[in-house]
Amino acid sequence: MASPVVLSPRPNPPGAKVDPVAARSKALAILASSNKATRSPAVAPAASTPKDGDLDLAEQMNDDVRRQFVSGKRLGEGTYAIVYAGHYRHNPDALVAIKKIKFNAEFKDGIAMDAIREIKFLSELTHPNIIKLHAVFSTKDQNLSLVLEHLPLGDLEGLWKNRKLTYSGADIKAWANMLCQAIWFCHENYVLHRDIKGNNLLIAADGTVKLADFGLARSFADPGRPMTSNVITRFYRPPELLYGCYHYGGAVDMWSVGCVIAELAIRNFFLASETDIGQLATICDHFGTPTEENWPSVSTLRYYVAPSQQPGIQKGSTAAKMGKPASWWRGTFPLLGEDGVDLIRGMLAMDPKKRLTAKQALEHRYWTALPRPTKKEKLPKDAGGEAKAAEDLKRKGGETPANGRADKVARKLDFASMG
Amino acid sequence: MKLSEDDIYRTSTQFNHWSFTTQQLAAQRLKTNMQATERVKANVARQRAQRLQQAESDSLSSGVENGSGANTPLPDRSSDVKEVDCLTAEEELMIVDEFCERALALGAHCQFPTEVTASCVQFLRRFYLYNSPMTYHGQNISRTAMFLACKTENAHQSVETFATNFSKTTAEQILAPEYVIVQGLRFQFDVKHPFRGLKGGHLELVEMARGSYEGPNNIEDGMTSADLQARMLTLPRKAHEPSAKTSMQDMEKRLTSAYGFASHILKNAALLTDAYFLYTPSHIWLSSHLLADEPLTLFYLSIKLPSHSPLYIKLLSTLRSCAALLSSHRTFNAQRSPDVDAKHKARVKQLIEKLKSCRDPDKVDLVKLNQAQKRDAVEGEGGFDESKAKRRKVERETYQKESDNFWGPELPKA
Ligand SMILES: Nc1ncnc2c1ncn2[C@@H]1O[C@H](COP(=O)(O)OP(=O)(O)O)[C@@H](O)[C@H]1O
Repeated sequence: MASPVVLSPRPNPPGAKVDPVAARSKALAILASSNKATRSPAVAPAASTPKDGDLDLAEQMNDDVRRQFVSGKRLGEGTYAIVYAGHYRHNPDALVAIKKIKFNAEFKDGIAMDAIREIKFLSELTHPNIIKLHAVFSTKDQNLSLVLEHLPLGDLEGLWKNRKLTYSGADIKAWANMLCQAIWFCHENYVLHRDIKGNNLLIAADGTVKLADFGLARSFADPGRPMTSNVITRFYRPPELLYGCYHYGGAVDMWSVGCVIAELAIRNFFLASETDIGQLATICDHFGTPTEENWPSVSTLRYYVAPSQQPGIQKGSTAAKMGKPASWWRGTFPLLGEDGVDLIRGMLAMDPKKRLTAKQALEHRYWTALPRPTKKEKLPKDAGGEAKAAEDLKRKGGETPANGRADKVARKLDFASMG
Repeated sequence: MKLSEDDIYRTSTQFNHWSFTTQQLAAQRLKTNMQATERVKANVARQRAQRLQQAESDSLSSGVENGSGANTPLPDRSSDVKEVDCLTAEEELMIVDEFCERALALGAHCQFPTEVTASCVQFLRRFYLYNSPMTYHGQNISRTAMFLACKTENAHQSVETFATNFSKTTAEQILAPEYVIVQGLRFQFDVKHPFRGLKGGHLELVEMARGSYEGPNNIEDGMTSADLQARMLTLPRKAHEPSAKTSMQDMEKRLTSAYGFASHILKNAALLTDAYFLYTPSHIWLSSHLLADEPLTLFYLSIKLPSHSPLYIKLLSTLRSCAALLSSHRTFNAQRSPDVDAKHKARVKQLIEKLKSCRDPDKVDLVKLNQAQKRDAVEGEGGFDESKAKRRKVERETYQKESDNFWGPELPKA
């Protein structure tokens, strides 16, 4: 393609007479040593992108994708992105959410890991209970935008927090099942989500629950290759990660799933603590202290401290806790029933080897026992989805409410080394 | 309730966006080459014109030659300047192959996990399907592709640390083409490799050899795992040889060596050919295993599929063509002749030399280009193409005006 400069040559300077050979060899010399800064201001524009029609094929494709969408009002802001409402340009009824990755001054390594992970995994995972990634484009300021399915009805955490809303055990069963389907599909695709929690489970206009936010996801590691234990928001983090385990699998997500279902049932955070140590203590209060007997090889984990070694323990006595009795579980989770309690206790087994897999969870009798799960279209809906988005808006930048999503350290530290 | 590798593959971006026939690949490479050639020529011509103009203005301002009357027509410049000698599509591919090989060496040098290097090489092959090495030099792109692969394969290290793997390379140079690359990859970061499949197949074969395989078999109804084992231990040692009795220990050794050879193929020939574009990960690992030990692989296939089914016959013919591709690669033969290597090296050297004189001058300094694009973005924030076009126009006009100031306005035509 011809350049504009060639098409509109400058006037020949009057009286100039140059030796064409000398000029040419000079030009070629400059061309060859092209890494040197261009010395003439007149040439400078050429160093910028030469001409609009001269875009790379990839740039053209990117522009084509970008032009397909119209971005609208701001929906909310997360840790690493701002989310806008949007729609297809050709069809204003086809709504989308446009997630624009924030520029992170602290991250000096180019495109953010969250964005890479989210794009990598969502591009491959197509499932009714996983948020759909329609497209990705980059903007001129070299920021990535993810065009996601629009999910306007808030999230599972918003549901149980909304006191105006009543729901039944059958409703919980329906939500829980969609969650289990989603995580089963991830694990079948060798993907660990590593950040399952109520507010990453968004709700579509038709009531479908969709797993979102794959910013911490990764593929199952080869056996022997270590992974960081600093993942999963604290309230949902399983004991093996709190003990600093480097090798883990789908079981870590299953613990989080158990927590989310329990929260739906009690309409409160289930296992909540402000520190990692406190989190372990809370877990032990509920499930008993792990020992080599009930969790073989637990003592090999980095941060494990045997009950008898714990500070403040008198010789001869142990700090081993017993965990809650069966009656406590029945009494605390009436909305789940016997079968539901059995299911979440299976997901919340301390020893990851004994924890239910996603497949086993889906085969559990809870789903077929009465009451039948509520049909999607009959599920109670949180009209406050919009209101919550507004509340999210108020909460600026890095500030997070004290509850729930306080633990963003995990995400930050995760940049450091292992994936 | 189980997704097969195939189910997963059919919904992957690799299958949907990065799978081609040989003809499609050749056509796309030709198209990319033609577009790049045209652009290189136009941009070189433009830059030559600019330099020439610059040279003229230099000599004018230095006042050395100033005389022989106004408006002396300049000699026709275009005719005596040699046309740029661009790479052909075939030469481009050789250069891309070379940078893929260098990426393997780099990955080995840095001791990156296999997946990192393997994804980097596929990123390069994908990127250069739509971009020419004349536009973006392999040296720049491969470093950054490796950095990106570290991120996508969970082996991220800081760009400073990463840059220390190279001499005289700054963090900025590593980061500069990142957007160019992710755009060229169409933001698809997942590469489906055959490594996991090979490992799984190998473990199944070991189970069969030990008589502990419990999966379905298509050889005969009612065969026990002991029957399978017995059958396996009488397999011929090589294709077209009579059956031979083997001990379980020897069979396990044989399996280990087949696995080793197949892995070698996966880590070399499979990456350095178009195998990923043309075949599925299962095809690739099965073909590698076929090349490593044909009787074992055929035995394995006959357990997985009824051996007279059309599917089996079709699969086997696909595997044979994939195997032919893999074994055609220079790295396939461990004891390759030094002569072939030397010839190859000489040819590559010559091409890299040739590339020096046909690079797109606009894309040589990616750091500067990247800065310019970011500057464009800041200035052009808000509007889209209109503002960009307008700004460019202003830029051009300013440039024009500056030159007018310098030379005086264009003389009215006589
Ligand atoms: N697909 C979507 N549809 C509608 N709103 C969304 C969608 N994704 C995110 N949001 C809104 O944007 C907010 C921020 O999203 P996100 O960046 O995922 O946040 P977080 O880091 O809190 O998980 C959410 O709380 C929600 O209100």
